[in-house]
Amino acid sequence: MTDNDTALAILEAADRRRAERRRFLTLATSGAATIGGLGLLSACGGNKGSTGTTPTPTPTPTPTASSTTAQIDIDVLNFALNLEYLEAQFYQYAVYGTGLPGSQTVGGAGAAAGTVTGGRQVTFTDPVVAQYAREIAQDEAAHVNYLRTALGSAAVAMPSLNIDGSATGAFTAAALAAGVITSGQTFDPYASDENFLLGAFIFEDVGVSAYKGATPLITNTTYLGAAAGILAAEAYHAGLVRTALYAKGLATPSLRTNAGKISDARDSLDGTSDDDQGITGDATTSNIVPANLDGIAYSRTTGQVLNIAYLSKAAVSSGGFFPAGLNGNIKTSTAQA
Amino acid sequence: MAEDQLLEAFDSRVRRRAERREFFKAAIGAAAIGATTLVVTQEAFAQTVTDADILNFALNLEYLEAQFYAYAAGGAGLDSTLLGTSPGAVTATNARRVDNLDSDPVVRDYAREIAADEVAHVKFLRAQLGTTAVVQPAIDISATATSPFSAAARAAGLIGAGATFDPYSSPENFLLGAFIFEDVGVTAYKGAAPLILNKTYVEAAAGIMAVEAYHAAIIRTSLYAKGVATPNLRSATNAISDARDSLDGTTTDLDQGISPVTINGGTASNIAPLDADGLAYARSTGQVLNIVYLNNAAVTSGGFFPAGVNGTIKTSAAN
Repeated sequence: MTDNDTALAILEAADRRRAERRRFLTLATSGAATIGGLGLLSACGGNKGSTGTTPTPTPTPTPTASSTTAQIDIDVLNFALNLEYLEAQFYQYAVYGTGLPGSQTVGGAGAAAGTVTGGRQVTFTDPVVAQYAREIAQDEAAHVNYLRTALGSAAVAMPSLNIDGSATGAFTAAALAAGVITSGQTFDPYASDENFLLGAFIFEDVGVSAYKGATPLITNTTYLGAAAGILAAEAYHAGLVRTALYAKGLATPSLRTNAGKISDARDSLDGTSDDDQGITGDATTSNIVPANLDGIAYSRTTGQVLNIAYLSKAAVSSGGFFPAGLNGNIKTSTAQA
Repeated sequence: MAEDQLLEAFDSRVRRRAERREFFKAAIGAAAIGATTLVVTQEAFAQTVTDADILNFALNLEYLEAQFYAYAAGGAGLDSTLLGTSPGAVTATNARRVDNLDSDPVVRDYAREIAADEVAHVKFLRAQLGTTAVVQPAIDISATATSPFSAAARAAGLIGAGATFDPYSSPENFLLGAFIFEDVGVTAYKGAAPLILNKTYVEAAAGIMAVEAYHAAIIRTSLYAKGVATPNLRSATNAISDARDSLDGTTTDLDQGISPVTINGGTASNIAPLDADGLAYARSTGQVLNIVYLNNAAVTSGGFFPAGVNGTIKTSAAN
């Protein structure tokens, strides 16, 4: 009897969660027409190169490593490299108080790197969180190095980044948009273990959805496998950060609600399709995995990713964490209703 | 004792560095061969293996995961409507809702979430495959001295001869039981995705792979955090990881435990099992079957699948 009750309760919880996911799926489907065919349902045409954004066909240096690399592959990998620069610098500063070495930020053909505004070492009080941070910092630096190596001379330089924890920093703007703080307050991701985890949360799921959305655009099988490998790595990271927040949320419920607010803010920035979820399911079910009704992770178009990175619902080419925009050919966010 | 732990941590750090170095060399070697090899491999495979074959292979693994979590979280197996006509039997001796699960509400919440996700994967794959979906094969998730869970734990050196590893006996044992499967799922999808020809299925496979990586991170992060008070939980993951590695062939190291490593002079966790480039590993279908069959030879059944998996891909690799 007890077992039956438990099984029933689980089924009910699963139904509730499914109902929520169904709502997401419906929204996602209705939004499919506006997101340029990157979604699962429209991917069957193998529409390589048909992105929501229109890459400007400016000349790009041919990589020395593989002179036949398709332009779309270069553009997509450079788009990913911009995001990895951002993540890597955030974690490098949080762990070490300094950024990536200059040799890892200069363009493959010698273009100068942008500047990093803000960033400082976190004084971790929970050694386990410090150990997570050090692990992720290493992985993100490896991703930067890997993509730079793959792109060779075609690798873009690090763009200017704002990872500032002050009142005028991008993190405060993001937290304000999410309602994690109110007007006049500051969100400093370097101030505590908890703030660091929330700061990391702002990025991590976006990385997963970005790689998932970009994967079908890549034409070269080697790069496709590599992108899948980075996708899984980002999902491990995101799972780590979400699990840590959920566990700490037992004693500090605001961590769970704030993660939900950040998720909602990302959703409102990237259009009407719901492709994001917080970490709470119901009273006895977590929601560490943001996934649709079918248990599949979400995709975002490059334009949607830039809505979040630029903290703008409009079609713009800079803002938020990238004050001078991304480097490379994919740099414009999508105009959202 | 502390010295032993230090030595052990040092050993594992050296191992991880050596592993990464080895991968790095392999990666450079692969780069010299170039993309052509991969394309040829894909086409060679495509002549004999269809997308449906690969999705059915994945469906077998999802049946296994879903049954395990359904019992662990809810005390009962999957609804019979999800299994196909005349499915194989589930041997579930002593399988049950995890003892004292409510005493650890966070782990309970995780178990319920993952259980629902794995059911969704079974439903999704069955819907995609339609009438070509394979029925559930015979599955053994029991907890006895001769069960696959005990055999796996024994191979990892976690228990001695004649002893039982019971993944349902505590939240911690449940996490270790889940650890046996989760990273394997990630590597299986990563290995299979490039073999799929239909772009829709490629993206779906990538989406399921990401979800399995989230799941794996839940399990690994939880074991790591609990490992502060119970260091055995961390070392157990390394032992299980080593056992998986010895099953799936000695030439490639495709697995890592969670024990702390040293990076730039400081202690770091190892939640994400990645190569030197920060990329997740891939396993071939044969390597995945080595692990779930608990056999490093070329066989068609064993371990968690006592009558083998259903479908055309069913033989493990000869290692």
